[in-house]
Amino acid sequence: MYRFLSRTVCVTRNHSLCVYEGHVFSAKYDNVSRVLTGVGVNPLSTCSVRCCEKKDNAIPSNQDEATNVDTPAKITQLQEETEKVKATDRDSMQQHSNVKVEQFLSKSSQVNTDGAKSGKESLLDLLGAMKVQVTSKKRLKNLKPKQSLESAAAAMESTSSMFQKATVQASAQSEALDPDLVAAASAAASTLPNRSEAESELLKQLRQRKLLTEAQKKGDVNNLGVLLADMKVGKRSGRQNAWPTDQIRFDDDGQGYVRDRGITSELANVQKRRNIFPAKRLNIFSQTTDEQGDESALAKPTLWDIEFANELSLLTNQKPRNGFEEMIQWTKEGKLWQYPINNEIGLEDEASVPFHEHVFLEKHLEDGFPRQGPVRHFMELVVTGLAKNPYLTVEQKKEHISWFRDYFHQKEEVLNEADVYLN
Amino acid sequence: MAAPCRHVGHHIQKNGRFLRVNINQLFACRSFGLTSALQQQATDLHKESKEAIVIPRKKSWNKEAVLEALASTVQRDPTAYPYQFQDDSYLSPRTSIEFKLFSLSQESGRAAAKYFVNSNPKLFTKDFAEPHIPCLMPETVALRLEEVSQEALEERISLRKVSAAVEMYDQLLQSGTAVSMETTHKLLDLICLYCDRDPVQEGTPQTEDREEEEEDRRRKPVGRQAMDFLKCTWKENNNAERIFNLLPERDARCYSALIRGMVKHGAYAKAFNLYEDLLNNRLSADVHIFNALISAVPDVRKKNNERWDLIAELLNQMNEQKVRPNLLTFNSVLKALRQCSFLAKTFSPQILNEMKALGIAPSLATYEHILTVFFYKSASSGPSNMAILQDVLMELEGTSFTCQDPNDVLFFATAMKLCLDNKDLELGYKVHSLVEVGENWRLLGDSYQQALYYGRFFNLLCLMEHIDVVLKWYSRIVPSLLYPNPQGMKNLLQALDTDSRLDLLPIIWKGPTHTARSAPPASVSINMVHFPLLSADIKSLGHDNKVDLVEELLSLMARDEHSAEVQESFAACALDVKSVFDERPKKEWSTSSLSHISILLLRANKLQKAWDMLQLFKDKNRVPS
Repeated sequence: MYRFLSRTVCVTRNHSLCVYEGHVFSAKYDNVSRVLTGVGVNPLSTCSVRCCEKKDNAIPSNQDEATNVDTPAKITQLQEETEKVKATDRDSMQQHSNVKVEQFLSKSSQVNTDGAKSGKESLLDLLGAMKVQVTSKKRLKNLKPKQSLESAAAAMESTSSMFQKATVQASAQSEALDPDLVAAASAAASTLPNRSEAESELLKQLRQRKLLTEAQKKGDVNNLGVLLADMKVGKRSGRQNAWPTDQIRFDDDGQGYVRDRGITSELANVQKRRNIFPAKRLNIFSQTTDEQGDESALAKPTLWDIEFANELSLLTNQKPRNGFEEMIQWTKEGKLWQYPINNEIGLEDEASVPFHEHVFLEKHLEDGFPRQGPVRHFMELVVTGLAKNPYLTVEQKKEHISWFRDYFHQKEEVLNEADVYLN
Repeated sequence: MAAPCRHVGHHIQKNGRFLRVNINQLFACRSFGLTSALQQQATDLHKESKEAIVIPRKKSWNKEAVLEALASTVQRDPTAYPYQFQDDSYLSPRTSIEFKLFSLSQESGRAAAKYFVNSNPKLFTKDFAEPHIPCLMPETVALRLEEVSQEALEERISLRKVSAAVEMYDQLLQSGTAVSMETTHKLLDLICLYCDRDPVQEGTPQTEDREEEEEDRRRKPVGRQAMDFLKCTWKENNNAERIFNLLPERDARCYSALIRGMVKHGAYAKAFNLYEDLLNNRLSADVHIFNALISAVPDVRKKNNERWDLIAELLNQMNEQKVRPNLLTFNSVLKALRQCSFLAKTFSPQILNEMKALGIAPSLATYEHILTVFFYKSASSGPSNMAILQDVLMELEGTSFTCQDPNDVLFFATAMKLCLDNKDLELGYKVHSLVEVGENWRLLGDSYQQALYYGRFFNLLCLMEHIDVVLKWYSRIVPSLLYPNPQGMKNLLQALDTDSRLDLLPIIWKGPTHTARSAPPASVSINMVHFPLLSADIKSLGHDNKVDLVEELLSLMARDEHSAEVQESFAACALDVKSVFDERPKKEWSTSSLSHISILLLRANKLQKAWDMLQLFKDKNRVPS
């Protein structure tokens, strides 16, 4: 629905007149659509909220365009309707955003509980499962909700773009932030020219700061976890006949384990990969593309080449993993009837013959047959029949035609007497 | 009730408006769309008359396309044995030794049948197949042409009968018939490739020592070809050299055959002498000669810098003679560099860059050489060296390879070894994900290499990963891909120990049996839900006769005291161990295992059984500690 709407909006910009006509035309269908609404409530109600959100952007422009056109009464009626829609939109939008706010409040409370949990209990957890992986997972968990919170906030801003920003944001913030702070922010924002935008930015900043402080408040415990995670604790390697790779060398040279990859790999993804290898090269060979490579490719494979290829194929020759792979192997060896991959299976000797050889056979009539008359007519019919016959090869078709050629040559005298052989 | 109703009513009202608005605009859109479509059609008509018709190219499929598509839908079944053993459930291998035995016997059966068919072609004249299937009919391995002629010589060459070909060539020379240059090339190639010996024909029965050789080759797949050919060394003045010296004129192809043969069969110094000879005759060598010579460099020079100097000289000569290097050239350079210890680290990156500058895509073998160069001494492996592995893996990520070099198949096992040595789990996962890309699993090499690779991967998991994940992987790769050796099982036991999940020990011993199921301890029962069903355990893998592994198991069970339920299952497990030992009277009880079992029984309040153990002490002349 949204797509249609946006398309029509586009249309209105370019062909306002056309749309106008369309509107007039379609206004007649009001009745129909009312009937339809009764039917289509269920599916609509589910997606209505989404539509409302998106429509906000579209409708006003539509409306503007509509007003530009000199409108009869019907259009004004339409306009009224859209305004009503807008009003209901606003309601639903507000509801929706409230829901959203609640959602991520619950999320943030989860974060808090996560943080709170990491008291003694998590310390015990950490000590119990002393593996590098576990701790990095935990750290990620702490990071993730914060990010999603921010992204959710950003998404919300975009949805409530045009007019309701102030109200919605205020309602959202009033639960997350101190109302005094919100009031102060809006007061400060009112001094600026772009009021709503500035306010939203201010509030966003405040919210981030609040999150940060809260995170740091809980942080002392988390930091302990991180600290413990960074400490590498080796396993008991004092076992008899331990595996040589088992020997943890961290107390000998301090580098038994690689440094924690959690952060380094992230950094590596972010920043441009640092090339380990210096860009220097040997500079022995010049970068010329001779045709020598082609020559060697054209040459016949020697015994050495065959043997090398054989060696490679032996190395990669894995046993088939399932029945189909076994059938592939058999097909390659020629033991199995091959699966048809087109309609030309089994046409080995006809594979090289293009189809027009089969269909356009008139060229074979050019010599040895009269140009006109009943014989020519008969032969044309024969050729048409042959063209439609899929069961004969081209050679057989040619033989068929040449048989007639010989036949008519033999009967030439009779035909000439009857005055039908015209050549 | 009223509230929801009102809510619905509200919705209906709201949406009704919406729908109407939408429909209005839908129609607007429609009417417009129609006209535009019409207009477009009109313009298209105009265009068509002018433009020529372009017939799309025919899409061609190969004959296995359908089967390949079908095969790609089949996932690997982690609980099943490899496909080749599924015909006969009696022949399901449980250990790696059985795997080797069964697959070899399968192969040898096929070879025997083929030999029988080929050696008795008279018995297999009926051709039932319609259309004719050539590969099912007996092959002609016997010579047909008996007269002395060049055709007869060619036939002997194509059937790879070295001595017969040499004989025929001599007869031709004696009769004064000239042999064409091309045939001479082929003859020299044949003699040099097989080092003047008749190759072992496929399917012929082998003598006793040959079979041992065969066995050796399978055991040592790494460079087994080289090992095989090193046994027959290049002899002074063999037929190849004799024929070569008799030739009225020699071109680069003749030199190429000789030099390659010499390098292949260990006459390195001779190869270099012949190369000098070639240069003196003002001929230019081909790329194969250079490849062979470069790979021979470490054997003719003893000092590292001399080796590198010789390599650089050869490369420069290549450039002077306008010979274009290929992938194998650089791979053999890198392989030679592996034996130049400290110089290698400086030059191998340069070689890689040279390859890239020349537009030669490195193969897995190239990276394998570079990795081994940088990890030559494991003591010097620091974080920077792991960064190299990381770099290489990042470059290779998501690419699918084909085998271009015989050493390609060593890459994955080497990379996983480095991950294991440096205990880098993340890179280990990366290596494994590279294996899973496309057809890369084919490059894991033969069963020995695969066992090596998966064994290392599993050990890495045991060392670094949480026990739940380890067990998940265990059920995924055992026994369909890996038969863990006793060391692998010990690592698994240690992983259990470190994560203090010793309560799972009975399951590792015997699988989830009635002991674990009937009385699941409260603490275990929760975890049992997540616990993957083990597809193989110590008993089914046939490790229950490995004394040290069993002792390790017993000592782990006896070390600490656990809750009553766990002790119960431990005692049952200990009794099971005891019964296994009783079945094999040859096995010696050690004092420690005896005392461990008695301790376990005592902790589970099985006094009578413990008393029996004490009797056992007496019987075996052991003293309880």
